[in-house]
Amino acid sequence: MIITKRRDVKELQENIKDYKSFFLLGCSECATLCATGGEPEIKALKEELEKQGKEVTGSFVAKTGCQVLGTKVELKKSSKEALDKADCILVMSCGAGTQTSVELFEDKPVYPTNDSLFLGNMTRMQMFDERCSLCGECILDGTGGICPITACPKGLLNGPCGGTNEGKCEVSSEIDCAWVRIYNRLSKINRLKDMEQIVEPKNWASHRKPMNLNTREKASSGKDKPV
Amino acid sequence: MSFKDALNSGRFVVTAEAGPPKGTDISKIVHEVEALKGKVDAVNVTDNQSAVMRISSTSFCKILIDMGIEPILQMTCRDRNRIGLQSDLLGASILGIRNVLCMTGDHPNAGDHKEAKPVYDIESVQLLGVIDALNNGKDMMGNDLQGSTDYLQGAVVTPEANPLEPQLMKFKKKVNVGAKFFQTQAVYNIDNFKSFMGHARKYPVHPVRKDAGYNGVKILAGLVLLKSAGMANFMNKFVPGIIVPQELIDELKAAGKEKALDTGIDIMASHIKQLKAENVCDGVHIMAIGAEDKVPAIMERAGLL
Ligand code: SF4
Ligand code: SF4
Repeated sequence: MIITKRRDVKELQENIKDYKSFFLLGCSECATLCATGGEPEIKALKEELEKQGKEVTGSFVAKTGCQVLGTKVELKKSSKEALDKADCILVMSCGAGTQTSVELFEDKPVYPTNDSLFLGNMTRMQMFDERCSLCGECILDGTGGICPITACPKGLLNGPCGGTNEGKCEVSSEIDCAWVRIYNRLSKINRLKDMEQIVEPKNWASHRKPMNLNTREKASSGKDKPV
Repeated sequence: MSFKDALNSGRFVVTAEAGPPKGTDISKIVHEVEALKGKVDAVNVTDNQSAVMRISSTSFCKILIDMGIEPILQMTCRDRNRIGLQSDLLGASILGIRNVLCMTGDHPNAGDHKEAKPVYDIESVQLLGVIDALNNGKDMMGNDLQGSTDYLQGAVVTPEANPLEPQLMKFKKKVNVGAKFFQTQAVYNIDNFKSFMGHARKYPVHPVRKDAGYNGVKILAGLVLLKSAGMANFMNKFVPGIIVPQELIDELKAAGKEKALDTGIDIMASHIKQLKAENVCDGVHIMAIGAEDKVPAIMERAGLL
């Protein structure tokens, strides 16, 4: 999921100082699990804004805020009036969710309330860590399933640097050295030979921004089939 | 005799190290390295060591060449992508630089520009492969070069890394991809170093890498001059892969403030003597860290001058 955290209050204040009425849009997926865009956070932000004398015309928790079409349909059904009345939309999900609203509301200012941090695994309630950087060409098959591009601060592909320190990383003693983890894992599953392979420089062209993907089959007419 | 010839001659080789300063005034460092001229086989020039921004390694290598000292260009993968690295390698070649030490490079987090975006587009093993390509008239994409490089490429290894096995696996990769020499992280326990050398010598040189005039990978033991007990404790605490044994720290303490540096020189000289007498490795890499002018004294006491 996409890990988010609430932006600095001062930044938000600066963004919204010119506006009086707001629509708050949360998301029921990642932002809800990160406690940055679920019902309780919407309620808290609403109170905060009202305390400052601002008006909240309405709010909604999108099912999946990064799903453009679905969110459009949901909002039209549930919140058309409240949206029309608002000067400004505050999106309480990730940067992708924010840009859904930017696309849907061409003539309204849209601001994010959150910083989007990384693609994360949730380890416990409210605890997240990063395991995949979406590099475009997965190499987990050669590393015992542990991603050095993400878990090693240098993204090394051929083994540990000289800074590896009793299983910890030179960058921080709070990080386990990715390559020691990979080594231990490969020796446990009897595949140390995978680590002997010289890994060639990564093809970063497969990670060129902005990425997009279209796997829809083309209809014979040349037009896209409906999903 | 060039550094390459010295290595291949089979005699005990000595290299030292110079860290270019931050800023354009090089008078102090030039004065210090002057003392190394004619004494050591080559001098490493560090590449923004510890991720602290300084004069470029290549530029200072050129200064050394003009002074009549053979440089070893340290090249890290932290600050340049593959285009920058190759371009700088071609550039260093036309300045007469012939030796490159390939390193991954300390993370910016260690340095004075912590907000920098680390590059690591390629890393040390891959950089060694790139140099092999440039030496053979191609860039890393296989495009022809108009004039190839003629580098002797080396790498680093940490003999006291814990755990050692993954480090040895990477060492082996570096050998296979064409590293001709190694300069190790600092070692203080000669018995531990000998056992590392036992492992290191087990790896046969890749047959296709045995090019003419090159007879096996050469290993220079890295030695850092101890200047005080405090410095030794600091390294034990903060520098991964360096272990200064307690008895050496006690020796420095007993020597007192005034005599500590002299004791450090003695310790290093006796280590060099032992490494040479017992034929443990092919030479030493002396890191005097700001006391480059003491290198001749160390060599004298070790019986090398
Ligand atoms: S190699 Fe790592 S960053 Fe790339 S896709 Fe696989 S897990 Fe993600
Ligand atoms: S210590 Fe390990 S995880 Fe940290 S940068 Fe080096 S190889 Fe990567």
